Formats: sequence, structure tokens, C-alpha cells
Amino acid sequence: MRRSLLRSTAIIASLMLIGYGVAVTQDRADPRWLVLLVVIAGLWAVALWPSRPLAPGAQVILHLALVFAVGFGLVTVQVLRAHLLDRDRILAKASDPASGVIDLRRVLAERRIERGRILLRDGTVLASDTVDSSGTRVRVYHEQYGYVAGYYSPGLYGAAGIEQAWDGQLSGQRATSWDAWLDGLLHRTKRGHDVVLTVDPALQALGQRLLGDRAGAAVLLDADTGAVLALVSSPAFDPNQLSVPLGATAEQLDRARRSFDRLQQDGRGPLLLRPVQGQYTPGSIFKTVTAAAAFESGIATPDSLYRDDGAIVIDSRVIIERNRPDPSRVAYSLREAYGYSLNVVFAQVGLQLGGQRLEEMARAVGFERAIPFDLPVVPSRIARTSDFLASQAGLAETAFGQGQLQVTPLQMALVAAAVVRDGTIPRPYLVAEVRTPDGHVVWRRTPSEWLRAFDGATAEALRDLMVWSVENGYAQPARIEGLRVGGKTGTAEVGDAAPHAWFIGFAEAGGHRVAVAVVIEHGGSGVQVALPVGRSLLEAALREG
Amino acid sequence: MQLLVIPACASLVGLLTISLARVGETRWTWSDLVVSLLFIGVIFATSFWLALLRAAADQVVFPVVTVLACLGLLLSQRLGPAIQQSGVWASLAQRQLAYFLLALAALWVTVAVVRSFHWLKRLKYTWAVLASTLTVVTMVFGTDLGSGARLWLDFGPVTVQPGEVVKVLLVLFLAGYLDDHRELIAGTYRVGPIPLPPLPYLIPLLTMWGIAVLAVVLQNDLGNALLLFGIFLAMLYVATRRFMYVFGGGLAFAAAVVAALRLVPRVSQRVQIWLDPWRDPTGLGMQPVQADLAFAHGHIFGSGWGFGYPQSIPVVATDYAFAALGEELGSLGTVAILSLYLLLVMRGLSIAIRIRHSYVRLLTVGLVSVLGLQTLIILAGTVRLLPLTGITLPFISAGGSSLVTNFIMVGLLLRASELVRG
Repeated sequence: MRRSLLRSTAIIASLMLIGYGVAVTQDRADPRWLVLLVVIAGLWAVALWPSRPLAPGAQVILHLALVFAVGFGLVTVQVLRAHLLDRDRILAKASDPASGVIDLRRVLAERRIERGRILLRDGTVLASDTVDSSGTRVRVYHEQYGYVAGYYSPGLYGAAGIEQAWDGQLSGQRATSWDAWLDGLLHRTKRGHDVVLTVDPALQALGQRLLGDRAGAAVLLDADTGAVLALVSSPAFDPNQLSVPLGATAEQLDRARRSFDRLQQDGRGPLLLRPVQGQYTPGSIFKTVTAAAAFESGIATPDSLYRDDGAIVIDSRVIIERNRPDPSRVAYSLREAYGYSLNVVFAQVGLQLGGQRLEEMARAVGFERAIPFDLPVVPSRIARTSDFLASQAGLAETAFGQGQLQVTPLQMALVAAAVVRDGTIPRPYLVAEVRTPDGHVVWRRTPSEWLRAFDGATAEALRDLMVWSVENGYAQPARIEGLRVGGKTGTAEVGDAAPHAWFIGFAEAGGHRVAVAVVIEHGGSGVQVALPVGRSLLEAALREG
Repeated sequence: MQLLVIPACASLVGLLTISLARVGETRWTWSDLVVSLLFIGVIFATSFWLALLRAAADQVVFPVVTVLACLGLLLSQRLGPAIQQSGVWASLAQRQLAYFLLALAALWVTVAVVRSFHWLKRLKYTWAVLASTLTVVTMVFGTDLGSGARLWLDFGPVTVQPGEVVKVLLVLFLAGYLDDHRELIAGTYRVGPIPLPPLPYLIPLLTMWGIAVLAVVLQNDLGNALLLFGIFLAMLYVATRRFMYVFGGGLAFAAAVVAALRLVPRVSQRVQIWLDPWRDPTGLGMQPVQADLAFAHGHIFGSGWGFGYPQSIPVVATDYAFAALGEELGSLGTVAILSLYLLLVMRGLSIAIRIRHSYVRLLTVGLVSVLGLQTLIILAGTVRLLPLTGITLPFISAGGSSLVTNFIMVGLLLRASELVRG
């Protein structure tokens, strides 16, 4: 009885030691693990020690048998560790390019897999695999919208964009369906899953046509769900030029290298996916955030009156007002100040708020953090240096959208969406669903809320401001017959160069809401340059949908 | 007899899979299966031959060995086309098949010739002289086949590795010698405070230690040193029943290994590769790194015969045969193979326990220890439990000398099993 208790204790202890060892050590020949193995061998010897005394001649042979049993046991532990427990560690180490290890099995497996397609929601194929005349798999992209998918270049540059972020599904490695498992078992050509994007090709084409060859970006969101309807970046690149398959010829490699060098040396940055990676000074569109902070903290309402004499001096810095509709008038409500984009008024609102409350609101709408999206998003910044908002001049400049602000178009589209959605920000998404090659949906996105930026009353007040701006203010050209449209233009000063032209806005019809952000780099006036693009996108989104 | 059906089926299915996986379609002809049919015919014929000679032999050992040899044969068929070799008289697959037939012939002869163990015992000093002659001849005239040690004798078309035979001769000698002197337990004497074993044990103990050390220093052959010394300690323990001798011997061997680590750069390099192959994963550490990858890719079920890529491991057919099997048969396969080896060892030892005749019992323990220790040492190297040493995996690794010797040992084991008391 005591004997069997001892045996089972020794076995359990050895199992626990194995668990501990695997958790603590990274490698099977780590000295600490080897020491543990010696201890485990001792425990097994205790567990297996022959209990009944036999003839002495038989006893010694049993001891020999014990040594062999323990030895084979240790080999089993080691080999199972390599097969099962250390598997991911080993594969991860080998796939690290810095190690120099060539894992031919992975390369061969990848050549056997037909990578899933990337589709738009109407079935337009953005990216798919074809087999060329020499039997090599090549990734082929849609010539116009291909860049939205990123690129896949296993022979040279790895992957980027959706191709990288959704590699698990596209390559079929994370595919969990029964068919995928069966394909692997039967060594059939594996097909990765298809990834379906939310982008509407008509809206995307419209956006690209409107931007033309001007550098800039446009994001069109379904404000109800957070789905991205158009993600325009200009100038774009053709991912076909970078797609280099495994086992590519020297000529293919050379061509891709030349294309990549050319894209990198292009001063306009075609490789940058501007809606999520471009960082711009926002200019007046940021007044929306300042106003939100003012309403949320209760220091002002749309009707609060401010004085604008045409200039204001803050900390010996002079801010000149160029936007007043009537130079003889000095009193403006906050609503009018927003619609006429009065910097002097918003400088005062900023000072009234203080740096902390302004920064809190910026963070509440998503600044200073990575937006959860299907592609990596650069966080928008309220200030580059931590004490910038502590200075009166810095605070005032930030309040009307200059200062050290750096924003992405996606971030500003989300601000517009929050206004039209009663203060919540949806989790933006680009991937709607994942399908098996024969069209069976294996995963579908459930739209969700990401943040609550401000409460419903603030959202209502902001809607009042943005709609007034379109009905009566400078954003009047954005009016669309039959739709409720709100918007704000911006003309962001960037040093001596021409200013960035901005527009953010929303439109509502029949309970359906969309939000947009457009920036045109060094485009000039927001009203004349960015607004028409935003207006067309809003109109097309609601008229069609 | 019925147990032989398992390796027969395994060889048919395995070979079919291998040849089909290469072509990529499900069409086959009988000519693809010649090797398997030959294998099945030969093992059943052997079984009949064994039954003819004597019916009372053990019925488990031969089927287990056949399964292992079947795996070895399949592995060589699988690796043969993948590994290009030049300057050899036939492909890896063909050679392994020829060796297998030769090995079975050796088994037939052994079982036919060794009808009684008396003359084996009487000739014990002949075995010793033969073993030393072979060793010396190899050291002087031997050639190096790329392992850095002169372990082979070159006879034109074939090269023989005498080290394999020396192991058996050593067991034959030690069994006879230790059995003659087993009455001498009382003759302990002391040097100062340390009790020493009686001279008849002390002298071979020192000699073996010396041989092992020489093997390490002269041939850089840590694995064989460990194997030879391990066999000796196992037999010494069973003969004398004194744990202290084993303990003392082990300590002395460990001291020699530590010294070798300091003094012989090749040995310390092996240890470095064992502990951290990722320091140089494409050079010195390439073998263990690629073997780790093979195991990792094998996962639970393995990739299946012919669907892995074991040829990425250098010297896969001998040193890393187990990793190749691990990749294609998965963890289920490797655990099954380990169980088969353990079953073989346990069966052998259980035969030994039940033999009353002390010489035969000692001989059996010796033979089982050769097989068991050899398996353990090479497997421990493959799975990075110990530094890798270039000895063969019994029955599975490619190589004629080892296969023939192992089947001779199986023959002796089968003959010994007849002496089990009912």
C-alpha cells in the first residue's frame, strides 16, 4: 500500500517536473532541462524499483531492465518534446530570416498551397494565384485596386497589407474547416481561404478617379457598422510588380528589385497606404474635437457667444483671423464660429478648456493609440513634445487644428462617424468574411463598438454644428438635395508649402449613415479641393446603397 | 508466425505508398512491389527454417526484429532515390536489400551452426584474439569514410566496419571469462582505505577502461567507447552482482570523458553542437537543427511515407534515420518504434532471467545490452539527450556490417531462448 503510494507520487512528481521544465526552458539541451531529466530519471527508478525480492541472479537483471526502461523513457520525453511541445519554438526559430536556416519543407509546402483569393464584396477579384507556363505559382493583382490587398512576395519582400495580416487564413495554415484538414491528410493541393473585403468597387473607383494623380487619401465608412466602403490612396503602386514567387528566375528577381527601388525613391511615397499610414496636420477639421471637449465639459453650448476682433495675442504670438464673413461684426456664436471656421474663437475655447481637457477628448476619440483595424494604423498624435499643450500659444494653436497635431484620415473619418452615431466609435473593419474556396462562409465579421467618445447630447450639439456648417457656413457646396449632410473643411498650414486640403463629413438618409474623410496633400483650400471629393463619395454611397 | 503478418502488410503498404507518392498518381504494377514480395517470402521462409531446426525458440523476438528491419528497408527505399551517391556499386535501396538478404542468411547459418554453446565458451580466448586483431588491423589499414575516424576496411567493392563484429566477439569473450571467474567474489583486498576488486576483475576493468579511452583519443569515437564500456559494466554487474564495481567503473569513465572534453577539441565541439546548435545553424549545427525541424514537422501523425523532406538532414540514412522516420511517421510512429526496441530488450532480458545455465545467461545479457545500449546511445544523440555519436541504429540504419552482425546476435538470442526452463 505504502509502496504503491510512493510509486504514484513519484510518477506524478515526474510529470509535474516535465511540465515545469517545458515551461521554463526553451530548448531540449538547455542545461537546466538536462538536470531536470536526471531528477526525473531518479523518480522513475523509484517508481519502477522491483518490490518483491527475487533470486539475486534475477534481481541484477531486473536492475538492468530498469536502466533500459528509464533510458527509453527519457528518449521518449525528448522526442515528444520535439514533435509536440517544442514544435512552435523550433519552427519559429527556423522561420526567422536572421537565423539563415532554410526550412525546405515550409518552402515546398507553400508551393503546394494555392493561396486564397482576396475579393471585394461584389466578387471583384483583387488578388489570386495563377500558375505560369513554367509551373510556378504567381500572385496576380487587380491593376486598379490591387494595392488595397497589399502585396505577397515570398521570394523577395515577404508580404504586406491584408496579405500579411490575414496570411493565416489565405495560406490555409489557420484554416480550421474539415475540408482543409482532409486536404492535408490526403495530400491534395491545399487551397487557402478566400478573404472578402468590405470595399465597394464603384465607390473605390469613384474615389480614385476624383483624386486622379493628386497625392492624397480618402476613407469612406459605413458609420452604422464601421465597414470601410472605400480606401483610396494616391499615388498607389501596382503590387504585380513586387509579386515574386518562390523559385523565381534571376530575371524576375531583378525586375522586382528595380520596381521596388523605383517605388522607394519616388518622393511621393507610393508604397505608403495613406488612409492608415499617412500623418497630416488636420487644420480646421480638428475644431470638431475641440468643440466636443467644450460641450462635454459643459463650458459652452452651440449658442455661447465669443468675441472675434480679427486678431488675438496669446503669449506674444499674434493670431490673425482671415475667415470672418463680415469684418465689421465681432460677436459670434460657437455654431457660427465653427461654420465660418474662426481660429480666434477656437483659440479662446482652447484656453478656456485647458490642455488636460482637450487632450482627454482627443484620447477619447482614439488619438495616441493604435486603432484596431485589419491593417496596422499609425496612431494619431495630439502633440509631439509632452509639454506643448502646457504653453498657452501651443494650446491655442492645437485648438484650431495646427500646433503639433498629426492625424490619419481614418482617425478623422471615425470622428465624423462618432458625431453621426450619438457619440460611439465603431470598430472599423476591412475584412467582411472568410470563405472556403467553394464559397461557404467560415467566419463573418460582427460589427462592434470600439469606444464611447462622448455622450449623446454632445453628439447632438456637434451634429447641429456640422449641419449648420453645410447649410449656412463655408461648407455649403457640400449640400446634397434630399440628404442630411454635416461637414467641416480644413486648410492645414504646413510651413511654406501649399496647405493640405481637408474635408470630413457625414450624410444620413433613411436610417443609413456614412462618414468620410478626404485629404489632398498641398492641395490648397479645403472647400475648393477636398470638399467636392467628399461630397461625391457621400452622395454616391447613399444614392446607390 | 502469425505475428509476421504485421511486418508483411506494413512492407506492402509502405512500399506502395512510397512509390506512389513519388509519381503522384494511383497507378501501380506488380514490379513496384518486388521488394516487398521478396521481403515477405524471405521472412516466412526464415520462420519455417527456424521451426524446422527447433520449435521451442522464442516467438516474439523474431517478429519484432522483422518489423524494425522492415522499417529500415522501407526507409532505404524511400531515401534511395532522394540521396544521390556516386562511386558506389548500387543505389542505397538496392544495397540495403542485398544486406538484408545477407543478414537473413547469416541468421540461418548461425542458428544452424550454434547447436550447443559449449564450444563458444571454450573458444573464448580465440574470440579475444580475433577481436584485438581486427581492431589493430582497422586502426592500421582502415580507411576513413568521412566521419573523421578510421573505422572501415576497404575490400574494393565493399567496405566492412569491423567495429560491429568486434562488439559481438567481445561479448562472447567476456561471457566466457566472467563466467569462469564468478566464484572469486571473496578475494577483495585493499590499497590503503580503498577496497579493490579481486585481480581477475580488476585487470579486465582496467583493460576495458584503457580501450575505451584509446577509442576516444585515437578515433574520436565517444559513442563506441561508451557502448563498449557500457556493455562491459552491464555484464560485470550481472556476473558479480556488485554495484560498487559498476559505480567505480562509471566514475572512472566519466573522469576520462571530462578529461577528453578538455583535451580533444573534436569531442568538445560535439558537446557544443549538442548544447547549442542554433549558434551555427547552417554549418556545424545543421544536422541537429534540420533534425529538430524534421521532428517538428512530423507533429502527431507525420507527413506520411514519401511526403516529407528528410533528405535535408545531412547523413540522414545512418545517423539520423530516426529523425527521418519521425518526420514521415510522426510522434505515433516514433513512440511505436521506441516501444518495439524496448519490447525487444525486455523480452531478451526476460529470456536471460529464465535461463539457468550461467554462461548462456551472461551471454544473453551481453547481446541484449549491445542492442539496447546501441539503440539508446544513437537515439539519445538524435533527440539531443546526449551529444551525437556516429553509431548505427540497429536494424534500421543503412549499413551492411551492422545489419549482418545484428542478425547474428538475433540468431544467438533465439538459440539461447531454447534453454529457458519450462
